[in-house]
Amino acid sequence: MAKDGDELEVVSSGLSREDLLKRGAAGAFAVSMFGGLAERAHAFAGPMKFKGRQLKGDLSILQWAHFVPAYDQWLDSTYIKQWGEKNDVQVKVDHINNALLPSAAAAEVAAQKGHDMVQFLFPPSALEKSTLPMNDIVQEVTKKLGKMTDVAYRSTYNPKTKRYFGFPDNYVPDPIQYRKSMWFNVGIAPNTWENVRKAAPLLKKAGHPVGLGMSNELDSNMFLMSLLYCYGSSLQDANGNPAINNKGTIAALNLMKDIYQNGMSDEVFAWTAASNNQAFLAGRLSMAVNAISIARSAEDSGNTALSDDTWLRPIPKGSTRALGNEHVMGIYFIWRFAQNKEAAKQYIVDQQLGYRNHFLQSKFYNFPAWTNAVKGGFKAMNKLAAADKHKPLGKYTILTTIAQRYTTNVGYPGFANAAIGDIFNQSLIPQMFAQVAQGKMTAAAAAASYQSQFKTIFAKWKGQGLL
Amino acid sequence: MTAWLAGTWRRSSTWVIVGPFAIVLAFPFYWALTTTFKHDLDLYNQKSIPYTYNDASGHAHWDFWNYMTFHHVSFLFKHTEYPTWLLNTAIVGVAVVAITLVLALPAGYALARLSGAWGQMAGVGIFLVYLVPPTLLFLPLSRLIAELNLQDTLWAMILVYPSFTVPFATWLLMGFFKTIPQELEDAALVDGCSRLKALWRIVFPVSVPGILTVVIFAFSLCVNEFIYAFTFTSSTSERTISAGVPNELIRGDVFFWQSLMAAVLIPSIPLALLYNSFLDRFIKGFTGGAFR
Repeated sequence: MAKDGDELEVVSSGLSREDLLKRGAAGAFAVSMFGGLAERAHAFAGPMKFKGRQLKGDLSILQWAHFVPAYDQWLDSTYIKQWGEKNDVQVKVDHINNALLPSAAAAEVAAQKGHDMVQFLFPPSALEKSTLPMNDIVQEVTKKLGKMTDVAYRSTYNPKTKRYFGFPDNYVPDPIQYRKSMWFNVGIAPNTWENVRKAAPLLKKAGHPVGLGMSNELDSNMFLMSLLYCYGSSLQDANGNPAINNKGTIAALNLMKDIYQNGMSDEVFAWTAASNNQAFLAGRLSMAVNAISIARSAEDSGNTALSDDTWLRPIPKGSTRALGNEHVMGIYFIWRFAQNKEAAKQYIVDQQLGYRNHFLQSKFYNFPAWTNAVKGGFKAMNKLAAADKHKPLGKYTILTTIAQRYTTNVGYPGFANAAIGDIFNQSLIPQMFAQVAQGKMTAAAAAASYQSQFKTIFAKWKGQGLL
Repeated sequence: MTAWLAGTWRRSSTWVIVGPFAIVLAFPFYWALTTTFKHDLDLYNQKSIPYTYNDASGHAHWDFWNYMTFHHVSFLFKHTEYPTWLLNTAIVGVAVVAITLVLALPAGYALARLSGAWGQMAGVGIFLVYLVPPTLLFLPLSRLIAELNLQDTLWAMILVYPSFTVPFATWLLMGFFKTIPQELEDAALVDGCSRLKALWRIVFPVSVPGILTVVIFAFSLCVNEFIYAFTFTSSTSERTISAGVPNELIRGDVFFWQSLMAAVLIPSIPLALLYNSFLDRFIKGFTGGAFR
């Protein structure tokens, strides 16, 4: 930012003939078409800069439009301004729909130009070759805050290349959200998947089915992988070998087939990430696996009957354990072609070192990758969550328990590597569940068939040196 | 009496046929309009009647204005840069239409008049360019835009959009120019006009329906285009409606439905009125040359 005494002036150096022609034409067009709109015409002519400021003092960030608009408002108008003033850097954050992040990143890679850094909501392992290693700043933050959470470590570290391909900023616990009164009426608690299987037909009969997606979208991907963990299965083993063909997968597939056939409808095969939110908010669903955007939207809608009746709890236990993926994993990465790498790194580090406000402003959605990034760790986060006034009082305190004990990374028990990312992007897991639920394949045949597909995918990424 | 009966029958049969179509086509506008002013509680309540406004228990009321809210429209204008997106869309649309006309008018005329059998083939070839999907082109074009240093500016769209408006407009105008009798131009040439003057004074004035069709169609394409707009611009202040609205009113898995509806309704009303005002000419423009 400008120092005291700096004067405003129009930057005039380095204007090539091409720039001059471009700007001249732009200005002429703007003035002729929209003569009255002086501000607009000025925008074409180029921004005013502080004297002595260089372009390298700018930092541009691309990240999702947070589901809490107030978080983005605070980030854009307060946080980045304060950080920018402190570090003499002009920060600009562009927000986009999270579903469009991969195509935006692909376009920037193709152009070798764009933002300095991007925040993805899942591990961008396949982009490793286009991004800077983050080992240095991970070490720096670890020195100050202690060990990072395991979910963050396994989502951003590649043991093959020994690189952090991204910097873990935050993760989002994925609770189940259920209508307390409806489950009470059927006399069953949603604490095990067996109970969900038993309750599903009764809840459907009462007009309030459970909502568990089997579609090509983020929520279905996350939840169905979690279900596999609960039944002792996983996409890969701890050493990064495909491991889907086992009894646990078959049990999970059969469970979902039962729940679908007796307790849900065809719509779950065509769901988008918003579908379970909307059906829950409409009062139709009795249960969904989702981040707290459902509960928060219910509160914002003013429907107190619904929000007071919406309770949270950890993922139900399967035959082996109760364990779920994070709902989303906020990971910053810096492009190799970034213009201001140093400022980008500093921004990321500073944000993590003081995460309390991010935790609060996101309404407990963003949990820091380093627990001590909120001073006092989980205990302090629990205290903050307990202060939330929405009913049932203290409902959000369960999030810290879920974050501590029930949350893992995509790719568990291994790392979130490029093959796992590929499987995730192709939504192969929801497709496998959907095929069994619709009776197109038996559970055993599906497990064997997808194991074979996984082998091909893993071999592809091994060939590229990322596994 | 018989004539009166016949007239009434003709009019009512027209309404019977056209009425359902009109209702079906107007319904999305009605839906968007009602949704725009709904409270969240009304929107998400399964007991509510979705075509009108309801109280918290889901009961519809005649005095619907007491159950409406302007909060979501206010959010759109105060908490997003929607007015800027509207302005950006207008700037890009007007510029692209101008470029399209400058290139497509002479090209269409040349292909219709001067090139003989090759004109037809070239016309089809140009039209085929229009069919190459943007989903294939956006990656290489990103590179081009970056090389030209036009990323994150409206100029990126002003440069790229004519790549799909010009082929279509040329093809459309070529068909239209063919419907204009050659004798008109011959007479002008005999009277001492140059070919350019004949074009300007004789051909273009009688081609207004075709030109209007191109104007409206090219403008609509610019308003609707998403992939390039999304890929080439990332700053909120440089976005057009088609890129700004889905980026800032769909936040994760939460859709801001009322604001979304308002955002699409506002630009579609003037466009719909524009279409209707020039409907006859628009039809002429599209069907011109169809029977030659």
